[in-house]
Amino acid sequence: MLAIEQGEQGVVVVKGRLDAAQCPAAQSFLDKAQGTVSLDCSGLEYISSAGLGVLLKTQKRLLAAGGKLRLTGVNRHLQDIFQYSGFDQILEIEPAR
Amino acid sequence: MSEARHFRRSFDALPEIFGFTEAFFARQGVDREILTAVDFVVEELFTNMVKYGAAADPGSEVRIEIEAVGGGVEVVLADSGVEPFDVTKVPDADTGAPIEERRPGGLGLHLIRRLVDSWDYEYVVERRESRIRFKKTPAGKAAQDGP
Repeated sequence: MLAIEQGEQGVVVVKGRLDAAQCPAAQSFLDKAQGTVSLDCSGLEYISSAGLGVLLKTQKRLLAAGGKLRLTGVNRHLQDIFQYSGFDQILEIEPAR
Repeated sequence: MSEARHFRRSFDALPEIFGFTEAFFARQGVDREILTAVDFVVEELFTNMVKYGAAADPGSEVRIEIEAVGGGVEVVLADSGVEPFDVTKVPDADTGAPIEERRPGGLGLHLIRRLVDSWDYEYVVERRESRIRFKKTPAGKAAQDGP
């Protein structure tokens, strides 16, 4: 399952699994985000290519409006997926400590 | 030791599929380090079957079989009542393209190629069945070679 909600200081917190079944809910939430959006991924365990599509669409929209998407707390699995897909070149990513 | 189950052709079946793989790993004592990658590959292949299997026989399901091998797993996804399409022959995505040229989709198979130890495709004409098999072990390709 996936949980996505507004955290403190404008941070969006995402937890769980961003798979194809959960993407509509994530996209619906992120479509409302504006400006530079920090996405706390420290509780995000899993992402599939459908989830990458959600991030890509959001990043394109934010960049066009002068903002951007910034991911923090990214775990090893997600780092691998971002690297293999070249998303580490189009997203600002801060690995988990 | 292998286990198999059938799943309805729907994205909504994903939680059941992930439950199936997780339970298999627990029962067989397979290293959970590779569970996320296995789930990723299964999801990508399964959702492709959902998306492109619209013309499949009504009511047909996707069969997923997992076997514990060499410290890891070998997984077969079998989709019957479909036309042949060898997913292993699909070219890599252009992951160096600027964001303006990026499009959602096309990354799943590209990523599978980097996560599995091996994969192959077979089409069984009599059953009009596509069978995709992949192997993933903790000491496999991605773990040894890195990105």
